[in-house]
Amino acid sequence: MFNLVIGQYVPMESLVHRLDPRSKLISMFLFVIIVFLANNWLSYGLLILFCLASITASKLPFQFIYRGLRSVFFIVFLTFILNLFFTNGGLLLFSWGWLHIYLNGLIQSIFISFRILVIIVITTLLTLTTSPIEITDGLESLLHPLKRIKLPVHEFALMMSISLRFIPTLLEETEKIIKAQAARGSDFTTGSIKSRFKAVVPLLVPLFVSAFKRAEELAMAMEARGYHGDEGRTKLHRLVWNNRDTVLLLILAIMTIALILFRY
Amino acid sequence: MDITVNHVTHTYQPGTPFMRMALNDVSVAFPSGSFTSIIGHTGSGKSTLAQHLNGLLLPSTGSITAGDLTLEGGSKRKKKKINFKALREKVGYVFQYPEHQLFEETLLKDVAFGPINFGVPQDEAGRRAKACLELVHIPSAFWERSPFDLSGGQMRRVAIAGVLAVQPEVIILDEPTAGLDPRGRKEIMDLFDQLHRQQKRTIIMVTHNMSDAALYSDQVVVMNHGSLIMAGSPAEVFSRDEALQRIGLESPETMQFIRRLAEKIGTPQPTLSAFTMEDTADAVLKLLKGDAAHV
Repeated sequence: MFNLVIGQYVPMESLVHRLDPRSKLISMFLFVIIVFLANNWLSYGLLILFCLASITASKLPFQFIYRGLRSVFFIVFLTFILNLFFTNGGLLLFSWGWLHIYLNGLIQSIFISFRILVIIVITTLLTLTTSPIEITDGLESLLHPLKRIKLPVHEFALMMSISLRFIPTLLEETEKIIKAQAARGSDFTTGSIKSRFKAVVPLLVPLFVSAFKRAEELAMAMEARGYHGDEGRTKLHRLVWNNRDTVLLLILAIMTIALILFRY
Repeated sequence: MDITVNHVTHTYQPGTPFMRMALNDVSVAFPSGSFTSIIGHTGSGKSTLAQHLNGLLLPSTGSITAGDLTLEGGSKRKKKKINFKALREKVGYVFQYPEHQLFEETLLKDVAFGPINFGVPQDEAGRRAKACLELVHIPSAFWERSPFDLSGGQMRRVAIAGVLAVQPEVIILDEPTAGLDPRGRKEIMDLFDQLHRQQKRTIIMVTHNMSDAALYSDQVVVMNHGSLIMAGSPAEVFSRDEALQRIGLESPETMQFIRRLAEKIGTPQPTLSAFTMEDTADAVLKLLKGDAAHV
């Protein structure tokens, strides 16, 4: 049930794990942007190659990333179908009633599917190889200049790290409550849509109650330990920018140029 | 209803970096009408074992027989559909911190949730709910109030009533007294003792509390690192003090007291077992009179 890997850090020793979170974040954002530059087989090949290389360098088993992707296959499939039927032009491959499939539509939908897949692989890879704390430290450090214009960067970073931190906890809690209600005869998997929808109430109410309770306790525990915002607060883990981080950004820059060149 | 566990192994998240073997070739029987305590360290596989007994978890290999239903592990399973609902109606499960599962607007509705799920008619479910709330000593003035208005101990008792209202033959308890004060603990344990003695319900309790395990159970099962270390009567299990200490468990305080006393006054270690205050007092008297070797 909970094979959603997104947001679940796997502590391991690898090149990708050791990279500075800032370089990983910048690369990820850049990657997500340049994915939209790709418009032919060559450029999509390059993007997929980059993904495969990153996965290999992260030493995570392919199968593990595939497991995380399974939950989004439906979305990919849906966009594939939509693009398949609603893009016109090129050779008519198939037609049945008002349904037509054109060659351009087929190519377009394959491209779009790859586009979604590579974006998800790269973002999943970021969260699999970077602990939530590293990600927020990285974000906070990257967004630091925005404090000049009075944006509460630290508070945003804190909110984010707390949310990320509690995703696994809430999933665990959900699993526990599902089990407890299943033991009382609640049935989430069979019956009509209406009865299944009703079966969710005994799950959601306890989940919200405990989430609010947890939030309150966390706030009090933080205050009790003297938390008072980022004024004068030091960092336990200083971020260190190494050569490998510069190299990663260079690779991304070269890829960007390559993708722009491939377009024409 | 007898429950038998045959060579059950359970692996969490197989095929991922988080893979972990939680049960390793466990075989144990829970005879009808018995009271069994499962003891062991945090992470020893106690709760994992308990969750197999009503099909919340399914064995990776091995099998579990509950009444006339068999849960097979591994590849044999997928072929036939298992009627979990029938199993869960007969085997109730009180989770750790069961108050976290309350959700209804009123106590009565929440307690009646289980019976209604199992197809009990509305009015009968209401009757059972009232009877069970009485059984756990919740005054009727509270019955129409929200469960979230109650104190922690009261919420716990309402949640337990919610499981009892299904009228299961077997009741699994996962640390039912965790986080309660001594009085609340005694009330809850007395309730289960009464259900066991008077209504002959089978009770399987996961616990950290050695005294509860010694006082109330007929059988004690000791788990360590996913394996079953020993199983037997409380007297048998708690007489093997060294074996327990090796895996970081202690005997009940009464037994420790008698052993220390024997050491102090220099008599040989007695072979008796005493778990209640009265038995302990008798044992102390015998020790002091110097005839401990004969008891």
